[in-house]
Amino acid sequence: MATVTIDELSKRYAGGGEPAVKAVSLAVADGEFMVLLGPSGCGKSSVLRMIAGLEPITAGTVAIDGRPVNHVPAKDRDIAMVFQSYALYPHMTVHANLAFGLRRRSVPGDEIDRRVRGVAEKLGLTPFLARKPHALSGGQRQRVALGRAIVRDPKVFLFDEPLSNLDAALRVSTRNELIKQQHELGTTTIYVTHDQVEAMTMGDRICIMNKGEVVQIGKPLEVYRNPADAFVARFLGNPPMNLLPARLEQAGDRTIARFSDVAVELTAYPISALKPYVGGPVTLGVRPEDLYEVPPPAIASRALQIAARVLAVEPLGAETLLMLTIGGAGPEIIARVGRDTNLRTGGDATIALDPNALHLFDPTTTKAIARVA
Amino acid sequence: MRLWLNHLRRTPLLLFLVLYTIVSGGPFLWVMSMSLRTTPEIFDDPYALPVRLHWEKFANAWTNSNYGTYFWNSLIVVVTAVALVTLIGAMAAHCLARYRFRGSRLVRFVILSGMILPPQLLILSLFQILLDYGLYNSLAGLIIVYVATQLAMTVYILEGFFAQLPQDLFDAARMDGYADFEIFWRITLPIGLPAIFTTVTLNFILLWNEYLYAVVLLTDDEKRTLPLGIMHFMGGHQLDVGMIATGLMIAIAPVILLYALFSETMIKGMTAGAVR
Amino acid sequence: MAEPAAPPRTRIVAWLMGDSVADSRQAPARTILLFLAPALLVYAGFTIYPVLRTFYNSVHTIGPHNVQTFVGLDNFVALVTQDRVFWKAVANTTIFTVVGTVADVLGGLLLALCLFAKVPLARAMRVIWFTPVLMSYVIVGIIWVWLYDYDWGLVNLVLGWLGLESLQHSWLGDPATALWAVVVTHLWKWLGFNMIICLAALHALPEEVLGAAELDNCGWFAKLVYIIIPMLRPTLVNLLVLSFIGKMMMFDLVWIMTAGGPLWSTETVSTYVYKRAFNWNTFDLGYPSAIAVLWFFMILLFVTLMTRLLRQRDRVEF
Repeated sequence: MATVTIDELSKRYAGGGEPAVKAVSLAVADGEFMVLLGPSGCGKSSVLRMIAGLEPITAGTVAIDGRPVNHVPAKDRDIAMVFQSYALYPHMTVHANLAFGLRRRSVPGDEIDRRVRGVAEKLGLTPFLARKPHALSGGQRQRVALGRAIVRDPKVFLFDEPLSNLDAALRVSTRNELIKQQHELGTTTIYVTHDQVEAMTMGDRICIMNKGEVVQIGKPLEVYRNPADAFVARFLGNPPMNLLPARLEQAGDRTIARFSDVAVELTAYPISALKPYVGGPVTLGVRPEDLYEVPPPAIASRALQIAARVLAVEPLGAETLLMLTIGGAGPEIIARVGRDTNLRTGGDATIALDPNALHLFDPTTTKAIARVA
Repeated sequence: MRLWLNHLRRTPLLLFLVLYTIVSGGPFLWVMSMSLRTTPEIFDDPYALPVRLHWEKFANAWTNSNYGTYFWNSLIVVVTAVALVTLIGAMAAHCLARYRFRGSRLVRFVILSGMILPPQLLILSLFQILLDYGLYNSLAGLIIVYVATQLAMTVYILEGFFAQLPQDLFDAARMDGYADFEIFWRITLPIGLPAIFTTVTLNFILLWNEYLYAVVLLTDDEKRTLPLGIMHFMGGHQLDVGMIATGLMIAIAPVILLYALFSETMIKGMTAGAVR
Repeated sequence: MAEPAAPPRTRIVAWLMGDSVADSRQAPARTILLFLAPALLVYAGFTIYPVLRTFYNSVHTIGPHNVQTFVGLDNFVALVTQDRVFWKAVANTTIFTVVGTVADVLGGLLLALCLFAKVPLARAMRVIWFTPVLMSYVIVGIIWVWLYDYDWGLVNLVLGWLGLESLQHSWLGDPATALWAVVVTHLWKWLGFNMIICLAALHALPEEVLGAAELDNCGWFAKLVYIIIPMLRPTLVNLLVLSFIGKMMMFDLVWIMTAGGPLWSTETVSTYVYKRAFNWNTFDLGYPSAIAVLWFFMILLFVTLMTRLLRQRDRVEF
């Protein structure tokens, strides 16, 4: 149980080139489940390894419980880590794998035995204690890796993409298992992943990184609803948010966004925020689930109807994805509609849009323009 | 402060590294230096650097002490033997790796077990056999013996590599109408070039340095290979350290030259037999 | 690959080259024979036949002009019961092999660990440390004979500089030190080889496992003992066996440095075989053949025992 604070953390690898991590700052509260989310190469694993002490820090500080640990060796930071490849000791039995860290710390023998059996019981590993890792399935190895971390009873858990080597079904069940364990133990956890579903379902807060920098930190739903820039907007959400170039115009006291013969009034944005962009280009964003074949009653009154032509229909079972062009020849967008659609490829369609669900981004900086709600 | 302490901790390690580098590389440099000094100079101060570089010693060794002959003998024997063992070894390896046939396992076992046969088990009989066939004291005889001694290891390394080539490649070649030998010549050999390079390197070094078989099977001074030539010279001129050193340099210079150019290939080649 | 224009073939060539058979894993017998024949012929004539002939020789006395007398197991009996030189050679070879093998592999591992520890110029040192492996035993032997020289050899010189004059020896002339001197020289030649292989094996270790060990409170020594060496076990066993076999058969180095002297203190089985065959007052190839045969079986026995003892029961994959 501890807080982890990172201040202006940077990492540059020998051989020059761009720094892998640029001035990352993050504060993880005691008992919090913080997810570091980002595409491959964004620096999230480097940050994790610097927190663990497996990677030297180029600049900045890492503090655990307020105490800077930059020069504290990894073994003294009271941290446990679950690696992507599980990193089990292949020549030791499951029992020995679990007990190793404790043995190395001179924990008395019967205490080790008690803790190992307890954790094995918890994770359903008791029948495997005498086996070696190569005789276990992927999911079982993962649980041993988790057990090895739990048995140490550390201040912080670090997870480095632990689910990426599992198949889809196993991933879901293991994910729930992990969440359950973390809630029971209440240990501060930092979890690295590139999978946004994991981030959304597991994190108390998520921290999105791109190209070595922190882009946004916040609760999953907040980040989803209010992405800080176009990158976050497209990274969260599947299918990703549609981004369209548009122009802002002023018509009296109403601000209108115009794209492809469609004009939509922007009521969710304060005039002051929009003023600098009037008369010029903006990037308009709308999530596929905010495009409707038949608008629900709640927004029917303000919904804007758009003419479009269907390029492709992808029935997914529970819902259908539509690929459309606006006005028949304009930009392509994706809409998420119900399973009972009658639309066909090549046919014409009218799609309803909720003006309040629009996102606006600065066309050059890609940052989000502040909304009212 | 901490950084400085870290460096201090590593000092014994770094010292050891420097020491071992001197120990492993020093002797060669010493021989190189001695090869360019006259024997009196050496006895005066064995470990000094040459004052004047006596390049004429090499010419002297080459003609007067017959090192030229020894060198050419070594070259002929080794190049021929390596070429032959590579060709027939590759053919056998290709056959064992590609085709399933009755008795293939037996053949493989018989050939590969040759790797643990001690030379003593073979040398006396080979002596008799070469005598019987008139191949005693001939370069041809030595070449054939060398091919036989290196065959097992060569087949082992090449078969391991050839077996990893995707079968699809050969199925496609078959469908394109290639005959078996063409497949070997046009596909296995070109693609297997890295492994072949490896065995060529290994065989070249081992045979260039080979002593036991040569000393038993050759007696004429005209036929001697370099290792033999050096020992013969040693026998007659034990105190002429300078000239012996020159002879050593003639023997080792080609190897070191190749090593300077192709160190990675040679390291890989020499250790190929041992890597699992 | 472009479709080749099929060259016109003579019938013999066509017969030799074989037809294209649908299953590329099958080939007509003549093709297989074509590929294997050269190798098998050479092998049969110059490896298998000599081995068989050595076995034949071992139960005969082979005098000059190839006079052969069948003696049954007399050679072996004489060898085992009366030949003190043989048993001294066996003892020497065994000491040489056991000490040399252990030192060889441990030393190679040690050197590899040094280079593995991210030292500067590691690549250059790796290349330099490997050089002795490339040198002929003739060269290595002669150099070290000079280095061991009592008067001007570097070994005694360095001992003098360090103030250890009392330790100066005639290294190759003193029966007490000669064998050890040869062991050291042999080590000098081969450490680089084992180092390369251990280094490659170290680099193949999964980094994350080593990271996990660090988090589990392992310093460099604990990591070495509990993680690295166990995981390196197949490689180390391999090296031990290879080194063992090589040393049991060692001839060149001993012959060049000491020719078995002084007073049989460096006599190995292989040098003894050579001496009995070519440097003895009576010419008889039968007796040394018997030595070779007996020694071969002893090597086989040792190697089988070694592998059985050291081999791991289950394969550990990672």
